[in-house]
Amino acid sequence: MKVSRIVKEIKDRLNTASGVMTLLVVSIITVALISGAAVFIHIYHASMVRNVMISGEQATGQITDIVGNYMSDIDNSMERIKYAFRCDEEERNEILNALVEMRPDAVAVTEYDMENGELLNAWTGTEILKPEIYKNLSFDMDLLPSNAYYYTISKPHVESIFVNSYPWVVSITGIVSTSEGLRAVVLDSKFSQIAAYVDNIGIGSHGYCFIMDSEGDIVYHPQQQLIFAGLKKENTEVLKDAPDGSMEEGGIIYSIKTKEDSGWRTVAVSFVDETITDNLMRCLSLLLVLIFIVIAATMISSIVLTKHITRPIGELMTAMGEFEKDASGFSYKPVRGSYEINSLSDSFGHLVIRIQELMEKVKNEETVLRKTELRALQAQINPHFLYNTLDSIAWMCEDGRNKEAVEMVNALARLFRISISKGHELIPVEKEVEHAKSYLKIQNFRYKNQFSYSFNVEEKCLKYYCNKITLQPIIENAIYHGINRMIDEGEIKVDIYSEGEDVIFSVSDNGVGMTKEQCEDILKKDGPGRTGGIGIKNVNDRVKIYFGDKYGINIESEPDVGTKVTIRMPKIEEEYADAK
Amino acid sequence: MPNKKNLKWYVAVLLFVAATAFLLNVSYKAYIDTGARSSKYRISMIMKSTDSEFFKSVFSGGNAAATEYNVELDTMGPEDEEDYETQNEMIREAVDGGSDGIVFSAVDFNANGEAVDYAASKGVPVVIIDSDVNSDKVSRRISTDNYEAGRMAARAVIEASEGFDEFHIGIVNFDRNTENGRQREQGFREAISTDERVQSIESTYVLSTVDDACRGTKELLATSPETNVIVTFNEWTSLGVGKAIYDLGNKDSVSVIAFDSNEVCVNFLETGEVDALIVQNPYAMGYLGVESAYRLAEGEELSEDTVYTETTIVTRENMFEPEYQRILFKYE
Repeated sequence: MKVSRIVKEIKDRLNTASGVMTLLVVSIITVALISGAAVFIHIYHASMVRNVMISGEQATGQITDIVGNYMSDIDNSMERIKYAFRCDEEERNEILNALVEMRPDAVAVTEYDMENGELLNAWTGTEILKPEIYKNLSFDMDLLPSNAYYYTISKPHVESIFVNSYPWVVSITGIVSTSEGLRAVVLDSKFSQIAAYVDNIGIGSHGYCFIMDSEGDIVYHPQQQLIFAGLKKENTEVLKDAPDGSMEEGGIIYSIKTKEDSGWRTVAVSFVDETITDNLMRCLSLLLVLIFIVIAATMISSIVLTKHITRPIGELMTAMGEFEKDASGFSYKPVRGSYEINSLSDSFGHLVIRIQELMEKVKNEETVLRKTELRALQAQINPHFLYNTLDSIAWMCEDGRNKEAVEMVNALARLFRISISKGHELIPVEKEVEHAKSYLKIQNFRYKNQFSYSFNVEEKCLKYYCNKITLQPIIENAIYHGINRMIDEGEIKVDIYSEGEDVIFSVSDNGVGMTKEQCEDILKKDGPGRTGGIGIKNVNDRVKIYFGDKYGINIESEPDVGTKVTIRMPKIEEEYADAK
Repeated sequence: MPNKKNLKWYVAVLLFVAATAFLLNVSYKAYIDTGARSSKYRISMIMKSTDSEFFKSVFSGGNAAATEYNVELDTMGPEDEEDYETQNEMIREAVDGGSDGIVFSAVDFNANGEAVDYAASKGVPVVIIDSDVNSDKVSRRISTDNYEAGRMAARAVIEASEGFDEFHIGIVNFDRNTENGRQREQGFREAISTDERVQSIESTYVLSTVDDACRGTKELLATSPETNVIVTFNEWTSLGVGKAIYDLGNKDSVSVIAFDSNEVCVNFLETGEVDALIVQNPYAMGYLGVESAYRLAEGEELSEDTVYTETTIVTRENMFEPEYQRILFKYE
């Protein structure tokens, strides 16, 4: 429940401008950093590998030089041995014993019969030769060189001809000529000279060099004993066939260089993971910290953005929505945020006030316009009605019905006087009743008493005010639509009575009545009534403009029964009417 | 307009900058730290002896591992290979001196137990190599599979004594209380007793010195002259037996199966006083012992409680074959 709320909250947040921005910035920066890091790592890795390879190649170069020195030492020794064999026996012994003792790597010099491999002589320095040699590993018939100019170098083996001493050596086999004929000589040599260098060469913190022969057998390895103990292996199967140069194999970088004359190959081993991966891991952790900082920075800036921009914009949006719904009732509370937001908000505030002012103005103007229009209409004299009435009066005079003619003229005069009412819209109910009565009198003359009429007015209502010419248009409608078409005598009843705070004017006839549609039509139809002048709609409009929508005309009608039109107006006192 | 609200924002920004600077500083320090690996441990290697070829090999293996893992290694052992009390003293000193790990080879299976328990109780991991101790607090045991080595000795006897119709076997063993010697003898007895040519098996116990072993062998041969097979289980007793046979000059009538690759003993193998050597891998023991102690000091959990190193039978016939040369002869 709580979680889903939080998720929803987050979703909502992400949907806002600042949320989207945070997401964008974080993802862009993360992607940029990661891809930057990837490129960096790639370049860094490549350059590290190159550096390691270069130092590996430098190391192999040095070791190869050392091997070269070792080989030229051996050359010298072999030359010396050859020379010794040309001397007499005494001198030979002296030279060879000195050689074995003085040269640090020389262990023994042995002389063999070329035919049967029999050990003829041995110069062993301080070591004691076994009286009985079980197996001599130094001499191998197969390793005899083809002529006296070459030597062969054996694989490393233990020296097996000494009492209680088994140093590891290589055997260099050559051919010398003595006074007794050709003899094989073997120089057994240790690696202490090479070892001193090889052991001290380090590449990175764990890198090292070793020497192997062309068949991949290790000649010298700084961790020889680890290899012997089976704790370490070198991948010599792959390395022996690899060309000179550098290669990467299983996270290890090998640099190989071959010493041409001996076929010994120096291999520098350095570890990618220790030198390179360690650094990369450090870079990556630094990168992670950076990403974290960026995310934190973005979040903080997003909070700032939210506080200063997004939230105010949201508030502005809500305010505008409310304003749209109800423009006149809206009151604007300024929104605070960044400078831009503030000025936007201020402008909107001014806008609201201005629009409300304009709306008020338009409304007032409209009302004034309507009132003016209506007044103009009221002022119009209906020429048809006037003509008919004057015609009737003339007819009466001609007939000598002077008394009736006088009455008619009086009624007409009253009708017009009240119509004008010094331009006032609101007149006392009493006057309105008088106006209606004058009109009915004239019409009754004209219709030759086709209908009768009666007034039933509450005495207390007379003092209230009402819109002028409200009853007349309705009575006119009753006469023309109701009574005129009747064969029987029509009857028009006018009732005025108070109902609560209102005054009700009611005009009912027993005429032909109207359908519902006709009733509605009458209230809609604009323009003058049938005889010109003012229509029922006009009356309704005026009442509503002056007193509001809850007042106005209501028509009840039933065909062949009659029509009842009621006008509701508030009770208007004199002072109020004057103000209007 | 410097009002209260703006001030709050300045403070927030300042805090953020400070936090960023702090993080960068911390990560930079971490960067520097990982750059210079200064984690150095002190590991004490307490063996049964310091001058036997076997333990020299163990030490040199240990040193190789110490170099590789940048560990400070103290190597020590009593002068006398029976001196468990000095060994116990050495363990206590190492523990109190702040050693981060002990690689130990016990003289006495029972008498060394308490000292090992003490080390473990102080949180110093103990790795046993070569010779076991009576303690369940040992973190790891690295040794020759001693029963198997004994059985190998039995196989070597059968091979070396093909011409004999019956075996009268004499065992010249060292201290009864040393666990590895006891196990080797047990393994040997179990394996050889299945051969019907075996007529008698007689054990004599000597001190772990050349002279005492030589004396013991001569005594054995004097009291039981029919003895035609002698088996012995460590470097010193092997030298003693070889010397006795050499002195008596009866290398053809007595088959000798000895242990370890002392150069003198190898010479006896070559000349025939000794007929087969059971060669252990002391270098690997030393290397793996120190490596294990280092890993324990690092807080690592080791998966195997017991690690057996390789053992090889070397005879006169195969001793100079390249792969046997590597096993038999140390590279110096």
